[in-house]
Amino acid sequence: MGKTPFRHSFQVLPYVMVAPSVVVTLAIVFVPMLQAIWMSLHEYVLFRPKAIQWIGIQHFLKILEDEVFWISLQHTVVWISLTVPAQLLLGLLTALLLNQHFFWRPLARALVIIPWALPSVVISLMWVWIYDANFGILNEFLLRLKLISYSIPWLADPDTALYAIILTLTWQGFPFFAVMILAGLQAIPKTYYEAAAIDGASVIQQFFYITIPGIAGVIFTSVLLRIIWVANSLDVIFVMTGGGPGYATHTLPLYAFVEARTSLDYGYGSALAVTFSLLLTILVVLYLTRAQRSIDQ
Amino acid sequence: MNFHSKPLVLPFLFFLLAGSILFHAQAQTVRFWYHFDNADNPMTSLVEKFESENPGIQIEAENIPWNSYYDQLYTSIAAGDAPDAAMVKLNALPRLLEMEALVSLDNYFSNWAGKANVQENLFELTRAADGKHYYLPVQYVILYLYYRADLFAELGLQVPNTCEDFRTVAKALTRDTNGDGRPDTYGFGFRGGKGGHDHWASLTLSRNGVGFGKGQLTSAEGVKGTQFVLDLFQKDKVFPPSAPNDGFKEIIGAFQAGVTAMTIHHIGSSKGMVEALGNKVSAAPVPECGGGHWTAFGDESTAIFSSAEDKDAAWKWISFLSSDGNNAEFNKATGQLPVTKTDSAKWNLHEKRFVDATVASLPYAQLLPNASETADFTNSVWPISMQRALTGQIDARAMNREIDSLYNP
Repeated sequence: MGKTPFRHSFQVLPYVMVAPSVVVTLAIVFVPMLQAIWMSLHEYVLFRPKAIQWIGIQHFLKILEDEVFWISLQHTVVWISLTVPAQLLLGLLTALLLNQHFFWRPLARALVIIPWALPSVVISLMWVWIYDANFGILNEFLLRLKLISYSIPWLADPDTALYAIILTLTWQGFPFFAVMILAGLQAIPKTYYEAAAIDGASVIQQFFYITIPGIAGVIFTSVLLRIIWVANSLDVIFVMTGGGPGYATHTLPLYAFVEARTSLDYGYGSALAVTFSLLLTILVVLYLTRAQRSIDQ
Repeated sequence: MNFHSKPLVLPFLFFLLAGSILFHAQAQTVRFWYHFDNADNPMTSLVEKFESENPGIQIEAENIPWNSYYDQLYTSIAAGDAPDAAMVKLNALPRLLEMEALVSLDNYFSNWAGKANVQENLFELTRAADGKHYYLPVQYVILYLYYRADLFAELGLQVPNTCEDFRTVAKALTRDTNGDGRPDTYGFGFRGGKGGHDHWASLTLSRNGVGFGKGQLTSAEGVKGTQFVLDLFQKDKVFPPSAPNDGFKEIIGAFQAGVTAMTIHHIGSSKGMVEALGNKVSAAPVPECGGGHWTAFGDESTAIFSSAEDKDAAWKWISFLSSDGNNAEFNKATGQLPVTKTDSAKWNLHEKRFVDATVASLPYAQLLPNASETADFTNSVWPISMQRALTGQIDARAMNREIDSLYNP
């Protein structure tokens, strides 16, 4: 038997199959990223094309002294740390309900998708009217229930505007958790619950010792994705308040967007975006490290 | 057709088809951007009329949403994909000149018979800082005060002539009409969101010595003007609680619904006002404050961009829009006022009382500074600082200082 000329034959086909998606990803993700990094290191104001020049880290130094950056960062932390857990909690409750048997369960499972399926602009406009100080149904309900004595301008009051939008985004995003967790719940064998019941475990104990470990992986992945998506989302805020009143609903991605698109200062806007990306990357790495350790335990 | 001519038919048809394709391929296309809020706009009929009068020129007219109009315009210029011509406002002129995006229209004006038919003062108002003309006026408005004539009559109130009168009537018009202990009508619908700087300006910039020059806004009179606005909201409570965020739709909707008894806007909204309120709505010039009078001159023009392939074709289109008859058609969609003398003379689209209020306001209608800072003022500095001041996060002096430092770093 003769020797084969190569120990391993080189397979070209897999690379050819993957190439189109790699090219597209490079073009629409990595090239703009590199472009943003380049702009962040330049004085780049769109209506002053002749004044574009390299300035190194000047924008990043300016960010450290920018009051609006710190306000926006604070709001971003509040935004993520309230929205994601609220969506998770509501999604978990919904999934547990949808995992029960009732005659209109198929309809319920379809209806729960609606907030997730609606375009963000439609949701934003709808909730602007819900929160309206003169005609909104939220104020009307609360007044009739005598929980408030006068209409609250939810979106015009800096103390309530951000939380009002957090509620909107919670409504929009909980179906994602509901669907993901429901899939996880249905993968848990019923025999586990039966065996636990025979051993005398209560419903609460079954939930904490069977259900939660069974869907831990789903929760881990879903929360990671939602942290990234919620952190980056600005469409709902932009339509509902534009970042106002004042800076009350400014988050970092919104601030970067406004600086770039409205003030046409793409250099500083890109620097804000790059800074935010670095901070988010640190958060994601910390989350991955911590959460993975918990799951492994 | 006899047997001998049949062989000629196919070649004839071929050349006819080829000629048609070639003709259309050679037809010059002018890309034009505009922003109409009214979906039933006559741009289609104007395009058809122009193309029938100018065979060889095709117009691609695109309605760009107003909220992102200038975002898209500036980025398209930077990307090398600008339209050939577009509707533009004066506050964009400095930036467009810095981008070297505009074509001077002076040579076109000097050879244009229609120039004599456009109101002269509009040419002066739209002249650039370098003395040249880059804009061709196409419509205009002047902001005035809308008021509920029926409520004024009910309470025996007079139309306010001064800021003090304005405050008095606004307080009288802020009432609890259904006995639930909460006001359900407010004296004035203030626009605290983006675009509301004209409201603040009428009550502040009118004051003697107050303007955008260095230190003028931070002077005692300047601070007094802004404080007057803040007091109306915070102390007198004559604005609805939603005022810091209210934009165009909110102030017009609130006025039409009877939530507010006065607001400031222009003739472009008068048709909707009359449809909602009939004779209950009327208009008057904005009040005089602190010894002076200030109201916004709402300009709109067209311009040709330097990247246009056929500037002469673009000129034919924009001059068509500002000529007798066509300018009237254009303004029927926008609800604003024509710039041509002939169309203005026979204009009957608006109720007389609104035209009268516009004309009466003309002597003191003013523009914001013709500087690149004005775009930042209108888009971000004013709305953010006004909202912060209204909600008590900063005081009047701090707000005025932010604006002053924008124009006078």
